Amino acid sequence: MSFAIADTCFLIDWSSWRRRNLLFRLFTTVFVPETVLREVESEDVVEWIAGSLASGNLSLFTETPDILGEARHLVERTRLIPRVRGVDIPEAVCLVAGRRRGYTVLTENRGALMAASLLEEYRGVKVWRALEIIYELLRRRLIPAESPAAVFKEYEKETGHIFPKGDLENAVRRL
Amino acid sequence: MQSEDYERKLARWIRLEEEARKIRRSEADWKFIEEQPARVKAALKYYVETGDIRTSSRMAEMSIDRFRKLLRQARIPVIV
Repeated sequence: MSFAIADTCFLIDWSSWRRRNLLFRLFTTVFVPETVLREVESEDVVEWIAGSLASGNLSLFTETPDILGEARHLVERTRLIPRVRGVDIPEAVCLVAGRRRGYTVLTENRGALMAASLLEEYRGVKVWRALEIIYELLRRRLIPAESPAAVFKEYEKETGHIFPKGDLENAVRRL
Repeated sequence: MQSEDYERKLARWIRLEEEARKIRRSEADWKFIEEQPARVKAALKYYVETGDIRTSSRMAEMSIDRFRKLLRQARIPVIV
Protein backbone atom coordinates (compact mmCIF):
# COMPACT_ATOMS: atom_id res chain seq x y z
CA MET A 1 0.00 0.00 0.00
CA SER A 2 1.44 3.33 -0.95
CA PHE A 3 -0.16 6.72 -0.68
CA ALA A 4 0.57 10.09 -2.21
CA ILE A 5 -0.78 13.61 -1.93
CA ALA A 6 -0.84 15.93 -4.93
CA ASP A 7 -0.73 19.69 -5.29
CA THR A 8 -2.42 21.90 -7.88
CA CYS A 9 0.44 22.39 -10.33
CA PHE A 10 1.14 18.67 -10.48
CA LEU A 11 -2.49 17.74 -11.16
CA ILE A 12 -2.91 20.37 -13.85
CA ASP A 13 0.10 19.23 -15.90
CA TRP A 14 -0.25 15.52 -15.21
CA SER A 15 -3.91 15.48 -16.27
CA SER A 16 -2.89 16.63 -19.78
CA TRP A 17 -0.82 13.51 -20.43
CA ARG A 18 -2.35 10.58 -22.32
CA ARG A 19 -0.93 8.08 -19.79
CA ARG A 20 -2.16 10.02 -16.74
CA ASN A 21 -4.04 7.05 -15.23
CA LEU A 22 -0.80 5.08 -14.86
CA LEU A 23 -0.29 7.15 -11.72
CA PHE A 24 -2.74 4.81 -10.02
CA ARG A 25 -0.55 1.80 -10.76
CA LEU A 26 2.07 3.33 -8.45
CA PHE A 27 -0.15 4.55 -5.62
CA THR A 28 -3.12 2.89 -3.92
CA THR A 29 -4.66 6.30 -3.27
CA VAL A 30 -3.62 9.80 -4.24
CA PHE A 31 -5.04 12.39 -1.88
CA VAL A 32 -6.16 15.81 -3.09
CA PRO A 33 -6.38 18.46 -0.36
CA GLU A 34 -9.53 20.56 -0.34
CA THR A 35 -7.36 23.68 -0.72
CA VAL A 36 -5.98 22.19 -3.94
CA LEU A 37 -9.38 21.17 -5.30
CA ARG A 38 -10.66 24.72 -4.83
CA GLU A 39 -7.92 26.03 -7.15
CA VAL A 40 -8.94 23.95 -10.16
CA GLU A 41 -11.52 25.31 -12.60
CA SER A 42 -10.83 24.09 -16.15
CA GLU A 43 -13.32 21.57 -17.44
CA ASP A 44 -10.80 18.97 -18.58
CA VAL A 45 -8.82 19.02 -15.32
CA VAL A 46 -11.95 19.00 -13.15
CA GLU A 47 -13.40 16.13 -15.20
CA TRP A 48 -10.32 13.97 -14.72
CA ILE A 49 -10.22 14.73 -11.00
CA ALA A 50 -13.95 14.07 -10.58
CA GLY A 51 -13.75 10.78 -12.50
CA SER A 52 -10.73 9.65 -10.47
CA LEU A 53 -12.44 10.61 -7.20
CA ALA A 54 -15.50 8.63 -8.30
CA SER A 55 -13.40 5.56 -9.10
CA GLY A 56 -11.59 5.82 -5.76
CA ASN A 57 -8.15 6.41 -7.25
CA LEU A 58 -8.10 9.95 -5.92
CA SER A 59 -9.45 10.78 -2.50
CA LEU A 60 -10.30 14.09 -0.92
CA PHE A 61 -8.00 15.15 1.90
CA THR A 62 -9.68 17.37 4.46
CA GLU A 63 -7.15 19.46 6.33
CA THR A 64 -7.39 19.27 10.11
CA PRO A 65 -6.72 22.41 12.20
CA ASP A 66 -3.35 21.05 13.34
CA ILE A 67 -2.23 20.32 9.77
CA LEU A 68 -3.34 23.77 8.67
CA GLY A 69 -1.54 25.29 11.65
CA GLU A 70 1.75 23.61 10.73
CA ALA A 71 1.19 24.51 7.06
CA ARG A 72 0.75 28.19 7.93
CA HIS A 73 3.93 28.07 9.98
CA LEU A 74 5.77 26.46 7.06
CA VAL A 75 4.51 29.14 4.65
CA GLU A 76 5.83 31.84 6.95
CA ARG A 77 9.18 30.09 7.43
CA THR A 78 9.83 29.74 3.71
CA ARG A 79 9.08 33.42 3.21
CA LEU A 80 11.54 34.46 5.88
CA ILE A 81 14.51 32.61 4.38
CA PRO A 82 16.40 34.77 1.89
CA ARG A 83 16.73 33.40 -1.65
CA VAL A 84 14.31 30.52 -1.00
CA ARG A 85 11.13 30.35 -3.09
CA GLY A 86 8.17 30.55 -0.73
CA VAL A 87 5.41 27.96 -0.58
CA ASP A 88 1.70 28.70 -0.26
CA ILE A 89 -0.90 26.86 1.79
CA PRO A 90 -1.81 24.14 -0.77
CA GLU A 91 1.81 22.94 -1.20
CA ALA A 92 2.50 23.41 2.50
CA VAL A 93 -0.47 21.16 3.37
CA CYS A 94 0.99 18.48 1.08
CA LEU A 95 4.43 18.73 2.72
CA VAL A 96 2.96 18.58 6.21
CA ALA A 97 0.81 15.54 5.30
CA GLY A 98 3.91 13.99 3.73
CA ARG A 99 5.88 14.50 6.93
CA ARG A 100 3.17 13.38 9.31
CA ARG A 101 1.62 10.51 7.38
CA GLY A 102 4.46 9.33 5.18
CA TYR A 103 2.66 10.18 1.93
CA THR A 104 4.74 10.84 -1.17
CA VAL A 105 4.25 14.47 -2.17
CA LEU A 106 3.53 15.00 -5.88
CA THR A 107 4.37 18.52 -6.92
CA GLU A 108 5.73 20.69 -9.70
CA ASN A 109 6.24 23.59 -7.34
CA ARG A 110 9.85 24.70 -7.03
CA GLY A 111 9.15 26.18 -3.59
CA ALA A 112 7.93 22.82 -2.26
CA LEU A 113 11.01 21.09 -3.69
CA MET A 114 13.30 23.68 -2.11
CA ALA A 115 11.57 23.44 1.27
CA ALA A 116 11.90 19.64 1.31
CA SER A 117 15.54 19.92 0.34
CA LEU A 118 16.55 22.74 2.68
CA LEU A 119 14.40 22.59 5.82
CA GLU A 120 15.65 19.95 8.20
CA GLU A 121 12.29 18.66 9.46
CA TYR A 122 11.00 18.14 5.90
CA ARG A 123 14.12 16.47 4.49
CA GLY A 124 12.70 13.01 5.08
CA VAL A 125 9.61 13.73 2.99
CA LYS A 126 9.62 11.94 -0.36
CA VAL A 127 8.82 14.57 -3.00
CA TRP A 128 8.28 13.49 -6.58
CA ARG A 129 7.79 15.49 -9.75
CA ALA A 130 6.43 14.03 -12.97
CA LEU A 131 10.08 13.22 -13.75
CA GLU A 132 10.38 10.81 -10.81
CA ILE A 133 6.94 9.29 -11.49
CA ILE A 134 7.72 8.60 -15.15
CA TYR A 135 11.11 7.23 -14.13
CA GLU A 136 9.39 4.84 -11.71
CA LEU A 137 6.81 3.80 -14.33
CA LEU A 138 9.60 3.00 -16.77
CA ARG A 139 11.73 1.27 -14.15
CA ARG A 140 8.85 -1.01 -13.19
CA ARG A 141 8.03 -1.55 -16.88
CA LEU A 142 4.51 -0.21 -16.43
CA ILE A 143 5.07 1.64 -19.68
CA PRO A 144 5.69 -0.71 -22.62
CA ALA A 145 9.32 -1.00 -23.62
CA GLU A 146 10.04 2.13 -25.58
CA SER A 147 12.91 4.50 -25.61
CA PRO A 148 12.81 6.12 -22.14
CA ALA A 149 13.86 9.43 -23.65
CA ALA A 150 10.87 9.29 -26.02
CA VAL A 151 8.44 8.83 -23.11
CA PHE A 152 9.82 11.87 -21.28
CA LYS A 153 9.70 13.82 -24.54
CA GLU A 154 6.07 12.78 -25.07
CA TYR A 155 5.18 14.16 -21.62
CA GLU A 156 7.00 17.42 -22.36
CA LYS A 157 5.23 17.80 -25.70
CA GLU A 158 1.72 17.06 -24.40
CA THR A 159 1.93 19.15 -21.24
CA GLY A 160 4.29 21.99 -22.15
CA HIS A 161 6.30 21.02 -19.10
CA ILE A 162 10.08 20.94 -19.49
CA PHE A 163 12.34 18.84 -17.29
CA PRO A 164 15.67 20.34 -16.22
CA LYS A 165 18.26 19.03 -18.68
CA GLY A 166 20.64 17.56 -16.10
CA ASP A 167 17.88 15.79 -14.16
CA LEU A 168 16.41 14.35 -17.35
CA GLU A 169 19.78 13.08 -18.63
CA ASN A 170 20.47 11.52 -15.26
CA ALA A 171 17.07 9.75 -15.21
CA VAL A 172 17.49 8.38 -18.74
CA ARG A 173 21.03 7.21 -17.99
CA ARG A 174 19.87 5.32 -14.88
CA LEU A 175 17.20 3.49 -16.88
CA MET B 1 25.05 30.10 10.39
CA GLN B 2 23.96 27.52 7.84
CA SER B 3 25.91 24.33 7.13
CA GLU B 4 28.05 23.73 4.07
CA ASP B 5 25.49 21.18 2.85
CA TYR B 6 22.71 23.77 3.08
CA GLU B 7 24.76 26.33 1.16
CA ARG B 8 25.64 23.77 -1.51
CA LYS B 9 22.00 22.79 -1.97
CA LEU B 10 20.88 26.41 -2.03
CA ALA B 11 23.52 27.26 -4.65
CA ARG B 12 22.22 24.40 -6.81
CA TRP B 13 18.63 25.67 -6.53
CA ILE B 14 19.69 29.19 -7.44
CA ARG B 15 21.56 27.87 -10.48
CA LEU B 16 18.50 25.86 -11.57
CA GLU B 17 16.28 28.93 -11.13
CA GLU B 18 18.59 30.98 -13.34
CA GLU B 19 18.73 28.27 -16.03
CA ALA B 20 14.93 28.02 -16.03
CA ARG B 21 14.56 31.81 -16.30
CA LYS B 22 16.85 31.88 -19.35
CA ILE B 23 14.83 29.15 -21.07
CA ARG B 24 11.51 30.88 -20.31
CA ARG B 25 12.86 34.15 -21.72
CA SER B 26 14.14 32.55 -24.89
CA GLU B 27 11.16 30.28 -25.58
CA ALA B 28 8.38 32.79 -24.84
CA ASP B 29 6.26 34.15 -27.67
CA TRP B 30 6.91 37.81 -26.90
CA LYS B 31 4.59 39.02 -29.66
CA PHE B 32 1.70 37.12 -28.04
CA ILE B 33 2.66 38.49 -24.61
CA GLU B 34 2.79 42.08 -25.82
CA GLU B 35 -0.66 41.75 -27.39
CA GLN B 36 -2.34 40.84 -24.09
CA PRO B 37 -4.31 43.26 -21.88
CA ALA B 38 -2.09 45.11 -19.39
CA ARG B 39 -2.82 42.94 -16.34
CA VAL B 40 -2.31 39.66 -18.22
CA LYS B 41 0.82 40.97 -19.93
CA ALA B 42 2.31 41.95 -16.58
CA ALA B 43 1.44 38.56 -15.10
CA LEU B 44 3.07 36.68 -18.00
CA LYS B 45 6.23 38.78 -17.73
CA TYR B 46 6.28 38.20 -13.97
CA TYR B 47 6.02 34.46 -14.60
CA VAL B 48 8.89 34.54 -17.10
CA GLU B 49 11.10 36.18 -14.47
CA THR B 50 10.04 34.18 -11.41
CA GLY B 51 8.31 30.94 -12.41
CA ASP B 52 5.80 31.66 -9.63
CA ILE B 53 2.49 30.51 -11.10
CA ARG B 54 0.25 31.25 -8.13
CA THR B 55 1.24 34.91 -7.80
CA SER B 56 1.15 35.30 -11.58
CA SER B 57 -2.34 33.82 -11.85
CA ARG B 58 -3.58 36.13 -9.09
CA MET B 59 -2.05 39.08 -10.93
CA ALA B 60 -3.93 38.02 -14.06
CA GLU B 61 -7.11 37.41 -12.04
CA MET B 62 -7.31 33.84 -13.35
CA SER B 63 -7.39 30.41 -11.77
CA ILE B 64 -4.07 28.55 -11.81
CA ASP B 65 -5.22 26.07 -14.45
CA ARG B 66 -6.52 28.79 -16.77
CA PHE B 67 -3.24 30.66 -16.36
CA ARG B 68 -1.39 27.40 -17.09
CA LYS B 69 -3.26 27.19 -20.41
CA LEU B 70 -2.31 30.78 -21.15
CA LEU B 71 1.35 29.87 -20.54
CA ARG B 72 1.03 27.17 -23.22
CA GLN B 73 -0.46 29.71 -25.62
CA ALA B 74 2.40 32.09 -24.85
CA ARG B 75 4.88 29.20 -25.33
CA ILE B 76 6.33 29.80 -21.90
CA PRO B 77 7.54 26.43 -20.61
CA VAL B 78 7.04 25.30 -17.04
CA ILE B 79 10.45 23.97 -15.99
CA VAL B 80 10.58 21.87 -12.83
